[in-house]
Amino acid sequence: MSDNYLMVHYGELGTKGENKKAFINQLYRNLTHRLKGFSSLSFQKTRDRIYVRLNDEIPGDVIPVIQEVSGIQKISLVEKAGKSIEEIREKALSLIKNEEGKTFKAEIHRADKTFPLSSYDAACSIGDYILDHTDKVVDVHTPDIVVSVDIREEGSFIYAHSYPGAGGYPLGMNGKALMLLSGGIDSPVASYLLLRRGVRIECIHFAAPPYTSDAVLDKLKDIIARLGDFQADIKLHVVPFTKLQEAIYQHVEEPYCITIMRRMMVRIAEKVAKNCNCLAIATGESIGQVASQTLVSMRTINDVTNFPIIRPCATLDKIDIIAISKKIGTYETSIRPYEDCCTIFAPKKPKTKPKISECEYFESSFDWKPLLEESIEQINDVVFHNGVEISSIKEEGEKQ
Amino acid sequence: MIYFDNAATTAPIEAALKKYLDVSSFAYGNPQSRHFFGREADKILEEARKSMLLDLGFKDNHNLLFCSGATESNNLAIKGTALKYKNRGNKIITSAGEHPSVLKTLDELAEIEGFDIVKLPLLANGCVSLEALKDAIDQKTILVSIMAVNNEVGAINDLKAIKEIMTPYRKALLHVDATQAVGKASLPFFLADLISFSGHKFGALKGCGALIYRKNIQFVPVNSGGAQESGNRAGTVNVAGAAAMSLALSIATKSMKKNLETVKEIRDYLLNELRQIEGVSVNSNPSCLPYVLSISLTNKKASVVVESLSRKGICVSTVSACSSKESAKSYVLEAMGVDKHCYLNPIRLSFSPKSTMEEAKTFVEEFRKSLEEVISL
Repeated sequence: MSDNYLMVHYGELGTKGENKKAFINQLYRNLTHRLKGFSSLSFQKTRDRIYVRLNDEIPGDVIPVIQEVSGIQKISLVEKAGKSIEEIREKALSLIKNEEGKTFKAEIHRADKTFPLSSYDAACSIGDYILDHTDKVVDVHTPDIVVSVDIREEGSFIYAHSYPGAGGYPLGMNGKALMLLSGGIDSPVASYLLLRRGVRIECIHFAAPPYTSDAVLDKLKDIIARLGDFQADIKLHVVPFTKLQEAIYQHVEEPYCITIMRRMMVRIAEKVAKNCNCLAIATGESIGQVASQTLVSMRTINDVTNFPIIRPCATLDKIDIIAISKKIGTYETSIRPYEDCCTIFAPKKPKTKPKISECEYFESSFDWKPLLEESIEQINDVVFHNGVEISSIKEEGEKQ
Repeated sequence: MIYFDNAATTAPIEAALKKYLDVSSFAYGNPQSRHFFGREADKILEEARKSMLLDLGFKDNHNLLFCSGATESNNLAIKGTALKYKNRGNKIITSAGEHPSVLKTLDELAEIEGFDIVKLPLLANGCVSLEALKDAIDQKTILVSIMAVNNEVGAINDLKAIKEIMTPYRKALLHVDATQAVGKASLPFFLADLISFSGHKFGALKGCGALIYRKNIQFVPVNSGGAQESGNRAGTVNVAGAAAMSLALSIATKSMKKNLETVKEIRDYLLNELRQIEGVSVNSNPSCLPYVLSISLTNKKASVVVESLSRKGICVSTVSACSSKESAKSYVLEAMGVDKHCYLNPIRLSFSPKSTMEEAKTFVEEFRKSLEEVISL
């Protein structure tokens, strides 16, 4: 059994004052939950890091999983040594030999204050030793390689190589948002970005059969299965939207249809969000990507609610969104060719600068409120656990 | 449920299923094995081969190769012969209405091997333009690949006329994708040098198909490996599937005339009813093989109506449920020259001998309702 560890460095949470304990506990729970498939790992939580003892597990299997857990800045592959400076120097040397790069520096965290050398002296001693035995040179400002040594009571932990973490916050620290999930490329990415930032999600989908295919629901289930890696339990609210959609089409001038449709979706989302204790609505919109996503459109659509609407993809280019979508594994599912509400009802010439007053005028021309209420009453909830559908319940006008 | 998507695939007939199970249970030996059990399987395989050739009107000069289906068969027929005979010429003629397993294969040959591919236009009735064939064919032509019956509209190509045009060009082989014709229409397949089809279009099981080829033709194999199927298609043969396919074909052949009458009655009824519905334009004409009936919607989206029918338990197909407007189009209808909204919004009904008039009547009723319910987009 090797004496290797993974050292998990906390992300931004390291700077949070009073909440720090809660953050660390949440991260610890999330991390151990994600790694429960690796039975021989053992964990130790400290104020600054979490140590994952590998025992029989292979680092290359474990690290990619940890990289998906939010709230982590980086993961270092660490070797444990005793506390004599000779042993530490030897380990440091063997580690740095495997690293590419010309310049280095040694960094010491002397948590065990009984260690005889000061941090500075220890760093000099290790640095000298490496200088003597390799052709690498010291650069304390912009080194290619940093050899880090944590000296703790139980031994010293030495590492020269780290892997980037997902960043963000531990999931569950930042409340819950209701995500509008269409099945396209953007909304799963937006979901991921929220989850990464520690925000839990519930999802809402607007289904308009027969205009949209039932196959879209299978697609959503596959997307949620992927997101299940980041949040174990996800609820999907499926809103029957056909009648309202048809009414919009029959009463609203075509260029305004998509704007009014989005306003209706936001109205419904707001009610659902209130019911399920979500603090915000979230969408996959990206500024300017399509007519309904110009700033003017967003302003006009946003006007129907005072809930915050979070748009994690707002400033990303499509190419960046696609890259994230491939990284998190939703891309292949997202591009399956089925119509959703936003594609099939897309007007030939949508309004890029829809006016609030015009929207209000169109909305006053037909009685949409009963249709909206009916949609909400007939919402069907599907609950997923670790990506597997566990129940489908008709929510008969749930009130809280 | 009303299943009018038999051109996509048919339900396997019971006799074929039983045959498959029997052979799989009691004669599962590898026909390549030398022991008695292998020989038993080999005997079943050879009987199936012989019976199919006979049912399709072939005499001694053709052989039959079992494979996984029409796509593989088309690939082998085209790539296998084009690569074998590329020193004879580099022109291959096909039509704009062929199945993707023909068109894409040819595109690949053009790209990788530099073949000159000519795609003949379709006439308004869906048949290949024979005039265009006359103009295109020359001494450099090594292969003409034309389907017997079009899978989207049911148009029947005149194999005899095609063969006559080809007669002076002795280097050119005729490949016929007969997937929608085998077991359904008695056509002069023997005129062709290569004939491809799948079993699951006439009541056999998926994963079974065949390539019939004139005995003197050689291939560069697509699958390399063992010496099965005269060295032209490596891989253990699906004996049970072949036996079931042979049985399904012989049943279909025996009742071909009666089946055709049943299906024609249904097709004629539907053709007549549907053409009276406002917003419907009929693409197939009465001379098409009655197993397929293609219509288009003139002011509604076909994918929406198909979805609506699906929710009522009625299965028909559009070209695809693609969201991208370009890829949802029917290139066959486009080549036939129908107008844009129509080739973007096709619906295909396709029948089997099990289809009934009752179903056809219900279909018309439900189809009318769906058309009314769905708003124009």
